[in-house]
Amino acid sequence: MSQRLVNIESRKRSLHYFYEKVVGPLGFKFTPDAEMVNFLLEQEVILEGRHGIPFCPCQPLRNDRARDMHIVCPCIPFHRKHFDDIKRCWCGLFVHKDVLDPGKLPQLPPKEVKNE
Amino acid sequence: MSEMYTRVISAGEIAPGGMKAVELDGNEIVICNCGGKYYAIQRRCGHMNAPLEMGTLDGIYLTCPMHCAQFDITNGEALSGPVPSDMGHEISPAILGGYLQNIEMLMKHVRTESIRTYATKLEAGWVQIRL
Repeated sequence: MSQRLVNIESRKRSLHYFYEKVVGPLGFKFTPDAEMVNFLLEQEVILEGRHGIPFCPCQPLRNDRARDMHIVCPCIPFHRKHFDDIKRCWCGLFVHKDVLDPGKLPQLPPKEVKNE
Repeated sequence: MSEMYTRVISAGEIAPGGMKAVELDGNEIVICNCGGKYYAIQRRCGHMNAPLEMGTLDGIYLTCPMHCAQFDITNGEALSGPVPSDMGHEISPAILGGYLQNIEMLMKHVRTESIRTYATKLEAGWVQIRL
């Protein structure tokens, strides 16, 4: 174990702080589902403790740095068209700013998105 | 521990969001101006001793300039360890690459500790610290 485990709640707060600054200008916000935010951020803190980087908890690591860098949260810039089409990021941690009911947004892979 | 506060800098010396290193009785300290509120932390990173005033301060979060470990300046808590580098992809000379991989292996055993904080107060235009 290379890293002492950080306080998960403290790290979640700081990730929330930094992510908000990144996703806001991209037209996204945290999902209004607070329980989902809490759960996903916790998974990211665990992944960061393991790999040193808060990867997306819903996408597989491929042990290929160039590809894995595309799933560092918030990964919106690397999947912009896809996420704009489904109005959410793959996890659902972030949604378009106009989304009020994230439960109605299906998690569609790129191939199943209309016009994709 | 002394209950005495010591004047270290005048309040105008650090712009909001800025940091300044000072030395007080042999202690290396960084004063941080977080939106007009002052915090004092140990100068050396809890990971590998880099001078933290050369890092970046965003709100209450300080990022180390060397390996990007992050700390909460209000309580010194280590929030993350170093960000892993991309050894092997950017360095082409074999000897240098091998050396850096060895350093990387050693660094995996370095823990990131929380850093010390000091009580501060602002009085008569002076930032004061209690050691």
